[in-house]
Amino acid sequence: MKLLKDSLHYLVAAFGLCIPFAPSLNAQDLENGQLLNPSPDSWPLYHGDYSGRRHVRLTQITPQNVGSLTLAWAFQTNQTPQIKSSPLLVDGVLYFTVPDNVWAVDARSGHLIWHYNRPSKGEHIGHRGVAMYKGWLYFTTPDAHLISLDAKDGRFRWDKLIADASRGYWSTMAPLVVKNHVIAGVGGDLDNLPGYLRAFDPDSGATQWQWDVTPPAGTPNAATGGMTWMTGTYDPELNLLYWGTGNPTPVLNGTVRPGDNAYTCSIVAINPDDGKLAWGFSVSPHDTHDWDAVETPVLVDGEFHGQPHKMLMQTSRNGYFFVLDRTNGKNLLTVPYGPVNWTLGIDKQGRPIPNPAKEPAPDGRLVAPDEGGLTNYRAPSFDPKTGLFIVDAHPSYSLYFAKPADGAYGWAGADYGLWGKGVIEAIDYQTGKIRWSHDVGAGGSGAGVMTTDSGLTITGDAYGNLLALDTNNGRALWHAGTGSPMQSSPISYELDGRQYIITSSGGVLFAWALPEGIIAAKRSATERH
Amino acid sequence: MKTVKGLRILLISVAAAVSLLVVGYIQEPIRAAGQDEKALRPSAPSGGEPGAESYAKHCAICHGEQREGILPAFPPLLGINHRMTDDKIADLVHAGKGRMPGFPSLQDGELSALLHFVTSAEPASLITGSGTKGEENSGIAEGGAAVFQQNCAFCHGRDAMGGETGPDLTQSKLVREDRTGEKITQVIREGRPANKMPGFNLANPEISGIIAFIREREAAANAHPGGRRGVAVADLQTGNVQAGKQYFDGIGGCVKCHSPSGDLAGVATRFEGLELEERMLYPEGAESTVSVKLPSGQTISGLLAYRDEFTVALRDGKGIYRSWPIARVRFTVDSPVDAHVRLFNKYSDDDIHNLMAYLQTLR
Repeated sequence: MKLLKDSLHYLVAAFGLCIPFAPSLNAQDLENGQLLNPSPDSWPLYHGDYSGRRHVRLTQITPQNVGSLTLAWAFQTNQTPQIKSSPLLVDGVLYFTVPDNVWAVDARSGHLIWHYNRPSKGEHIGHRGVAMYKGWLYFTTPDAHLISLDAKDGRFRWDKLIADASRGYWSTMAPLVVKNHVIAGVGGDLDNLPGYLRAFDPDSGATQWQWDVTPPAGTPNAATGGMTWMTGTYDPELNLLYWGTGNPTPVLNGTVRPGDNAYTCSIVAINPDDGKLAWGFSVSPHDTHDWDAVETPVLVDGEFHGQPHKMLMQTSRNGYFFVLDRTNGKNLLTVPYGPVNWTLGIDKQGRPIPNPAKEPAPDGRLVAPDEGGLTNYRAPSFDPKTGLFIVDAHPSYSLYFAKPADGAYGWAGADYGLWGKGVIEAIDYQTGKIRWSHDVGAGGSGAGVMTTDSGLTITGDAYGNLLALDTNNGRALWHAGTGSPMQSSPISYELDGRQYIITSSGGVLFAWALPEGIIAAKRSATERH
Repeated sequence: MKTVKGLRILLISVAAAVSLLVVGYIQEPIRAAGQDEKALRPSAPSGGEPGAESYAKHCAICHGEQREGILPAFPPLLGINHRMTDDKIADLVHAGKGRMPGFPSLQDGELSALLHFVTSAEPASLITGSGTKGEENSGIAEGGAAVFQQNCAFCHGRDAMGGETGPDLTQSKLVREDRTGEKITQVIREGRPANKMPGFNLANPEISGIIAFIREREAAANAHPGGRRGVAVADLQTGNVQAGKQYFDGIGGCVKCHSPSGDLAGVATRFEGLELEERMLYPEGAESTVSVKLPSGQTISGLLAYRDEFTVALRDGKGIYRSWPIARVRFTVDSPVDAHVRLFNKYSDDDIHNLMAYLQTLR
């Protein structure tokens, strides 16, 4: 127990998130200091902070009073696309997206401040949100442009190309701002295209650097792909950016790209100032199942088997939970967190060894998990108090096919999901053992996870219920039907002394809070003591 | 016969709900070309008309509120008058087909109102292109896109690149070689009975539109050849019948619920290829029953209609929906389909191919 306590002190001390309740700056102005130490009345980065833990230090809403949680407001986009983005909150204004659209909404009342729309061609599969620096927003588009807007009024500022959409690229991700770099990635695995990460100057939009995931297209025996379609994390002390990369292409046909296909399906560490690779770790060497390793690389400082470590954790789409030493990319733990049947074991470097017999074949192969993976882009959460890594898992089975006639371009095969379900799993990061699990329904939920310092786990089920679970044991403490499953990850902030939890389902954004009366009573009780 | 039918017919509402949920979950990673969801979510039809009411009650859950279908599982009914006579539609409504249940009680006035509604012209809101990868259709192909979506997309895919039962038209030898469109027209008009493709009674401009749309998709596919491929019936013939029968009768435990001369008699004539294999491994939407004991001591049983961790609901023998908070009742669910889930981590790929070989003998 002492060990755990010590490690928790270490955790809290090391990550620099411990400056409590520093007042935020005014007038839609977001400086680097605020990005490094977000105040409780803000959510200035995709994951809330650079660590990707999606854990908030707020404690107004507790396991004891969450039963009184109620709707503060709802915002209707009045659009068909589902909200898959995480909002940013800066100076009382929420910014969130669906493809081609950005909304600025008053975080206190939920009323519209402005709406930006830019119709485009390209893949409209989803959108994860905006980035912000100083008074400017950065927004990626289905046709792979990076647009800068004035946060005050949504006025267009500039438009830069991330990639050529006519070749099959698109972009859905929320860029990441690190120092004076706006870092944006690309999607596009229906064509044999190389993935990359590009840094833009926040003022001029000029390209600062580009890091290529694979050798150029056309290199013999080499994969293309490795799309960079999810927002990474950042360690300011090591000055390293951590990013997950997508699957290699051709997707299901691995015969023309022998070997590990580095650095596709990998976690990479990159210097944000020059785009140089520090290290890379292959999460799925030679992937043939579309298991992008883009799930949040969560940064945790603490003890691992008695030794202090700067760790990186990922519940990967391929079904394995990884703990790495993020200073050098060395593996500490690799263990499956659900049904997985595609490996022959784990190699000396901690990487799964793909079983050639489970590569897609003309007559089909039964593979677990399915193409959607054991988890996907919605965020997991790390709870420092319990040491639990909590993830929305998707145990599933599917059939994978590929035959010579399918060729070696783009998908190059076909796959079909057979069955799946959703389970919220709490993983002990030191052993990979599942401490508790909570079923969330047939098919799978798709909701992200957020934890709070008061011991709550906020997520959703497959039927559209928003759930507040007890982080200690996974028990449901509160729920509300929202009409459609959450396809985003929750966030939380405190404004005017009231804690809000923001979730979405369908095209609606919801703000949940305790009734004012309960907050007032709680406040006066605290003052009396 | 009743049990055979009972096993065969899906609990449509659950199937629709589950398939929508599944689609919702997997749409992200799948990134299939041609998923323009906007085109398929029109507003609800205006009420009042008796045929529309009957449609909304019996048909809309599968075929969509605007008859647009829920692809790929449920076909659109828009333009059905181009491929079926009223008599044929009435027979189909009464008898059902495949996974579609029959509605024998629909008679007389309600039936003719329904037929009138089903075969009436489409609402203007549905005349829209497929919008694959954001490319815009123009002119004649745009009109053809709408006709294609209504009549052809269920089998051939929204982007004409192949669906569950129809081949990829952008790779078709006939399409490629028939530069005048004469042969394509003939196939559309006469169908290909041997391959189960029906003929379509369409006007010349509609056929020209379809051909223009297919040509456009052909060009797009050639420019972006990386889409998903399909699975042919011939691909799934690597198993051994005898080994499959052994697995069925023995270690697989299939005989606990199924019989080759009972529910599975002729299964290979109803399903083939990938669809048969998918249903063999997990019959999506198979029904479960539930028995709910109320605080009063009364027990009510029926088909499980809904269950999350807070609410349980059933449809009783009269088709009436009832629900309860889970904390207030005791209930037991019987889901025979769970036996399929328990097999997933036991199958070898050979087991699956052998079983498939065996099921294909059940004609």
